[in-house]
Amino acid sequence: MAASDRADRRREAALGLAMVAAPIGVVCLLIVVPAIQAATFSLGLVPTDNLVFSTGQHLVNSDTATLAVYRDLLASPFIRDDLWLTVWISLLSVVLVAIVAYVLALYVRFGSGRLPKIVRSLYLIPMFVPVVIASYAAITFYVDRGVLAAMLHAVGLPYVSPAYKASGVVITQVWFNIPFAVLMLGSGLDGIEQELIESAHDVGAGFMTVLWRIVLPMNVVPLLIVLTFTFIGVVGSFTIPFLIGPNAPQMFGVAIQAYFSNYNQPQAAVALAVMLFAICAVAGVVYVWATGRSNQHAVTL
Amino acid sequence: MRTTWFWDVPEFRRGLGLILVFGLSSFLLLPLLTLLLWAFADEWRYPNIIPQSASLKWWEWVFTNGDVGSAVRYSFITAPVVTLIAAVICLPAAYSFSRFRFPGRRALFISLLAANAFPKIGLYVAIATLFYRLNLMGTYWGVVLIQLVGTLVAMVWIPAAGFDSVARELEDAARDAGAGPLRVFWSITLPLAMPAIVVAAFLAFLAAFDESQGTLIVGSPQIVTMPTLMYTLVVNYPEPVGAIFSILLSAPSVILLLIARRYLLAGYLAAGFKGR
Repeated sequence: MAASDRADRRREAALGLAMVAAPIGVVCLLIVVPAIQAATFSLGLVPTDNLVFSTGQHLVNSDTATLAVYRDLLASPFIRDDLWLTVWISLLSVVLVAIVAYVLALYVRFGSGRLPKIVRSLYLIPMFVPVVIASYAAITFYVDRGVLAAMLHAVGLPYVSPAYKASGVVITQVWFNIPFAVLMLGSGLDGIEQELIESAHDVGAGFMTVLWRIVLPMNVVPLLIVLTFTFIGVVGSFTIPFLIGPNAPQMFGVAIQAYFSNYNQPQAAVALAVMLFAICAVAGVVYVWATGRSNQHAVTL
Repeated sequence: MRTTWFWDVPEFRRGLGLILVFGLSSFLLLPLLTLLLWAFADEWRYPNIIPQSASLKWWEWVFTNGDVGSAVRYSFITAPVVTLIAAVICLPAAYSFSRFRFPGRRALFISLLAANAFPKIGLYVAIATLFYRLNLMGTYWGVVLIQLVGTLVAMVWIPAAGFDSVARELEDAARDAGAGPLRVFWSITLPLAMPAIVVAAFLAFLAAFDESQGTLIVGSPQIVTMPTLMYTLVVNYPEPVGAIFSILLSAPSVILLLIARRYLLAGYLAAGFKGR
């Protein structure tokens, strides 16, 4: 009996592993291998079998790992400006997304009447709008002498357009990232029981006390997921800064695409990509940890 | 009196709610409305809040343009195939994660999140350098693979949650009544997990159909899908062209949304990790 039990369990393990092999294989082939290759290529270790690499412009080719590519890139004031712009746009977007989404999630969860219902269907809209369209819609609306300018002009207010500036990128990122953030924070808030809040009210806790002492501490993991996921998303974005962002300095996403496709400098592009990986490493680890943790509660795994 | 007494005044909170709803709807909807108006505008100059004259002439231009036709074709031969491949490789994995015990199960499940933990543009460039070596740049399968990256998490995680939610008692009861394992799966487990699978397929299709950044890097100039053509249209043509094309590009999302509506409300969206 015990022997057949063990055989059964071994068969189950083998079958289980075989069934998950395909998507895990795709992750290895399309994420792990490219990431490692990008790192070694950016360190000057150029694969000889690749004509495109070895004919790229400004190629650093070395037998041992060298940081020459990074040194050259970071020596450029343009790249340093791009890096700085990328980091602060990302941080600002993340903070704004978190604040706006928290207000919306709280309102949908604890508000009463018809208005929260309207908000509930409103905030999902950007989820179904492709990012290219979102960016283009933002341009047509916010551009200098555009619709918003006309509306403000009609009531006699001055207007400074955020289009083709860093602020345009931030506004569009907030627009685009609201649905995921509210969904995520909302799913955390749903787990907080009404009785808990009511009993806090009964002992005299006001709105702010309840928020600060009960709601926020119980919703830390979803908040971490929102912060990290949004940060990684904004850092690695291309479409929004490409269409509505400034030309110089520009965000890393735009620079990477230009180095890769337009300047024929795949090594520099890959080195910039590895720098993005490094910037997002901590956020990535926290994101994976927090998502895994929150999933433990949601799904019986 | 506490300094935050005003929070507990009903009128204050209702007024705040109104401002919130008004601000949110303006912020979210006005840019989209602007685009919608542009699609039917002929002339729209500052400081007019609405177009001066309407016209459908650009619709004809868009519908007879060869690039647009080719992009529509490429979009519809990539995204459905990506969704199908994602379903074929991910649904068995989702079932396995939900039902079988095997070593490294949780770690492997979590490792799928790697697709979201890397900044997208960096990942795409890294993949593209690999694709050069594999001669996949500018090819159909290169585009299919790059779009596949963004579908994995949704296509495993959401159906796995769906399989988890199927009550084991029902399966046991069917088995007691004499149903074989396959019969139990087809008649009990699969139908009950279907809402989750539909939501996952819906999100996977949208992720593939709307994917623009990776497709631009790996596919162009040979393979130009609708979202990647949008980059060119937006830069090189007057506003109505981009606006009309935006409507065409959002049509599948809206149609699918209406079809899958009752499933989407079932609460699986919260798990919808969009890979962008």
